[in-house]
Amino acid sequence: MSENKILFEAGSFDGISEEIGKLTSNEESRLKLTPDNADSGLAKLVLTLVELIRKLVEKQAMRRVDGGSLTDDEIERLGATLMKLEEKMEEMKKHFNLTDRDLNINLGPLGDLM
Amino acid sequence: MEKMIYALLSANTDQKEVISLLAGRKGLSGADLYLVSTAEMAVVACDIKRDDIIANSYNAIEYASVIEMLAQHFTLLPVRFGSVMESTDAILQMLERNLDDIQQNLLKVEKKYEFGLKIFCDSEKLKADLKAKPEAMSKKAETADQEITQSIYRDWVNKKLKEHRLEEMLLTYVDSVIAEIKGHLCMLQAVSKFNKMKTSTMIIDAVFLLDMERKDALIGAVADLQNQHSSLTFVLTGPWPPYNFVDFTVK
Repeated sequence: MSENKILFEAGSFDGISEEIGKLTSNEESRLKLTPDNADSGLAKLVLTLVELIRKLVEKQAMRRVDGGSLTDDEIERLGATLMKLEEKMEEMKKHFNLTDRDLNINLGPLGDLM
Repeated sequence: MEKMIYALLSANTDQKEVISLLAGRKGLSGADLYLVSTAEMAVVACDIKRDDIIANSYNAIEYASVIEMLAQHFTLLPVRFGSVMESTDAILQMLERNLDDIQQNLLKVEKKYEFGLKIFCDSEKLKADLKAKPEAMSKKAETADQEITQSIYRDWVNKKLKEHRLEEMLLTYVDSVIAEIKGHLCMLQAVSKFNKMKTSTMIIDAVFLLDMERKDALIGAVADLQNQHSSLTFVLTGPWPPYNFVDFTVK
């Protein structure tokens, strides 16, 4: 973005350029599949989808807990399940050398997946 | 040779002026830019081979600069980079098929420009600020602590519940900022579109369509909002061609 298109900004132009650059650069989130890394590339794609679904489930569960519609036993079981899912996900990320950032795909104008 | 399309213009546009503006400007392929027109509509295009269309930032900026130059003088509908038609006949047929949609969209953006507002913040710091507000987090969270206690699973739920409530508070805060912006926009008779939480740092990404003479009022409104929200960074850009206000798919 050229500087003359900025009509108002409270920060520095460099700072803004950096922030906007983060939005347009999807280098890190790009799936780089080659014959040598097919396993990890595929793992990244699959784990990204699993993580998205896990987070959606977790969010919905928290909405229900917050809404007060679950009994103590149900909350206990929910906690056990979700916590184990989270731990399992951490294990898999470690196994494939992936970080949270790796699993967050940049969807360009739509922003980050998660 | 195929035709790359840059923009759609109303037939009321002074075509001589368009042609004089295009004189000397080259399209992506280095070919001349020209007008394809019907009685109701005109299209700015250039000849290109499909293989010459390379989607990189240089070409995208070159392409956008042609649209930008035209938009400074005429009402137009910008066309997405890489839009190619097989021939002049194909363009004319497309114009005929989409005449109503194109005219409606041209009417909507007539003599208007797009402005973009991006609002940045450190969302973790903002959450911490929201959490520190006495009336906000504490009561609900304390209730949760009392109700859901003991066992590692319940502790885990409790922790996640607090995070969830902070997220909800952040969204409520973002909604309140959007409501404030909309309040200002009402006075400017602007059409607006909002996206929130695109990334962890960009909490609002908005576009407005409004008359050029209201530009200074918009800048003033954004400055007021910035003064009221010191923890946020407001960035207003424009004027742009109405990229985000063309609402039709070519048939």
